[in-house]
Amino acid sequence: MTTSSFQSLEEAISDEHFPEMDLALRRGRHVGRDDGAAYDYLVDALDHLEPFYRRFGCELMQRADGYLYLLPSGERLGRRQLTAGEMLVGQTLALMYLDPTTLQHGGMVQREMLLQRLSGLLGTETLVRTLNPRRRKFDERIAAETVRTKVAEALRRLTDLGFIDSVDDVMLRLRPALMRFAEPVRDLSDQTAALERLVQSGEITLGDADAEDENDGTDGDGTEDDEEEASG
Amino acid sequence: MPSDPSRLIAALARDQINLDLKTLDLCFLAGLDLRADRASLASFEEDVLIDMFEQVCDVVDPGAERPRKRATHAIQRLRDQRMLARVDGAGIVRSGEYTLTRLAAAVVEYFLADEALTRESLTLLTGTLRAQLAEILAAAKRADTEDDWRQRVVAPLRVTVGDLVGGIERRQRGLDCQQEEVQAEIAKLLKADWFGAVERCQALLDTTTNTLRELNEVLLRDTHHFVALLQEIQALASEAEQAESEEVVQRVIEHVDRIAAWGGARQRAWSDYYQYVHRYLRDVVRLDPDRALSQRLRDQVASWPSTPFRLLVAAAPSIRLLRPLESRVERPAVMRPRTEREGSPDLVDPEDAGLNIETLVEGALAAGARSLAEVTEWVLPQFPADLRYAVTGRVADVLARITRTRSAYERPWRTVAPRLEVEDWELPREGERR
Repeated sequence: MTTSSFQSLEEAISDEHFPEMDLALRRGRHVGRDDGAAYDYLVDALDHLEPFYRRFGCELMQRADGYLYLLPSGERLGRRQLTAGEMLVGQTLALMYLDPTTLQHGGMVQREMLLQRLSGLLGTETLVRTLNPRRRKFDERIAAETVRTKVAEALRRLTDLGFIDSVDDVMLRLRPALMRFAEPVRDLSDQTAALERLVQSGEITLGDADAEDENDGTDGDGTEDDEEEASG
Repeated sequence: MPSDPSRLIAALARDQINLDLKTLDLCFLAGLDLRADRASLASFEEDVLIDMFEQVCDVVDPGAERPRKRATHAIQRLRDQRMLARVDGAGIVRSGEYTLTRLAAAVVEYFLADEALTRESLTLLTGTLRAQLAEILAAAKRADTEDDWRQRVVAPLRVTVGDLVGGIERRQRGLDCQQEEVQAEIAKLLKADWFGAVERCQALLDTTTNTLRELNEVLLRDTHHFVALLQEIQALASEAEQAESEEVVQRVIEHVDRIAAWGGARQRAWSDYYQYVHRYLRDVVRLDPDRALSQRLRDQVASWPSTPFRLLVAAAPSIRLLRPLESRVERPAVMRPRTEREGSPDLVDPEDAGLNIETLVEGALAAGARSLAEVTEWVLPQFPADLRYAVTGRVADVLARITRTRSAYERPWRTVAPRLEVEDWELPREGERR
């Protein structure tokens, strides 16, 4: 027996929230409790929308943490994998989400704190090399600037995807969807087994950067390449 | 005191106002305040001050040497900063008597007094305020003269009502600080005891939530009455044309509105925080009682560069919007409008005035002219005066073409007409011409 207030799919998609939510989900947005009425609508219409989206070859996923998202399993709907920058920033923000210090400020963190945390977790050199895999030599100043640029770009994209809210130039509000980054370590099983399970369910993909990383739109540092080549 | 904030701030800057209080100074002031409170002292003799300083020194800085000398310096320092005032006026005749200033009392009160707003304190304050406003309203109804208005309405509104409303506001700020402390306390409890702290965190949350709700209820109910009473007083002042009273009432109304707005704003903010913490306790703490997830996630981030994985997200492109269909339009070539650029020639009189110069020159030669000057002299009279200069050149030109001229190294200048001279050429004789 369904608890939905919608009697049919027709009623569900006739709702005023449907067009906006449909577009947002197809663009990869994670809709959470913070979205208020839109989230309530999706939860209410879930029974009708799940089979609807399955016909497009994707699953409408609902998580206990209080968010929903669309997960394409076939080729009918476009999909993409997150870039290295987005993954590192997302995982670090998930870690900060779990930190009681963040709780004190109602889930708000400073961008500067994120950079400090990221650098502390990975070490500056690893961070720079992970975010710039093609680069062989680094000038400290340019490397730091590149990291800041890549992190800012990752934050912008994670905001679009509904993992965080950008409050202003300084503050970020963390959303429960960040817990997706912690899925591989959510249970006590072996992490490798957990990763395999997530690969099978189409949640993640394993391996190094693909072409998307190369074209993630943050390569505003062609000068540095030129400088490197010039210096031999 | 100037009312303009800029001038007021400029005056403070000009006087180089500053406070420099060490922990010892603050403790000394607090000790004096407590002593005054317990012993009902209005002022302190110098010996009492020194005695108190030594007691504070024993607690704050037990190994300090020469405490009496340090006490003398501390008293002077506090007097310089307007924290202590000498009240005996005896100068050097005998040792002084001192009292804490208003500034010192406010500083000590901030650190010692627990002035957060509670339901009890708020109910008491609002009850007193209501009674006071009712009295002022009755006085306003009876007021006949301007003095009555000033003494029975304006003065109580400024002093008594102002102090009561200020008291509520001060306690509101106290409660704001208390809320911040509760937030820090919850974070501290979770850090220290994680799962074991859930119940205590929940209790703290509930206590503050209840306090805020109760306060907001009292504020909503009572501020409504205050504003109604104040508006009645204002209407009476308006009828009696008491502008000053009207203005004072308006200021109090604004103050009361601010107090009411505080309640709503704080309750909304706390509600957001409450929900966030509640979800955190439920989704994070209760589901991970050993707090192992954070450590595992930390390890995952650290090892991610060597064992990368990536989340997959939907990425349907935006719908392509095609432009509306349009039949092909032949665009005209870009060109300038056609205009007649060649102007018609101007009609002018012929320069030779109908005479052929070459014929005239030949005539002159036939008549026996032997130099350029003679030929020119022979030709020029045939032309009007304004053409003679130009004709002179043409005569030379024709002569050079039809005959062979000779000239000396230094050719002589000869007058051929009034104001006209030529450098002369000699011409060959008849048989030598070509």
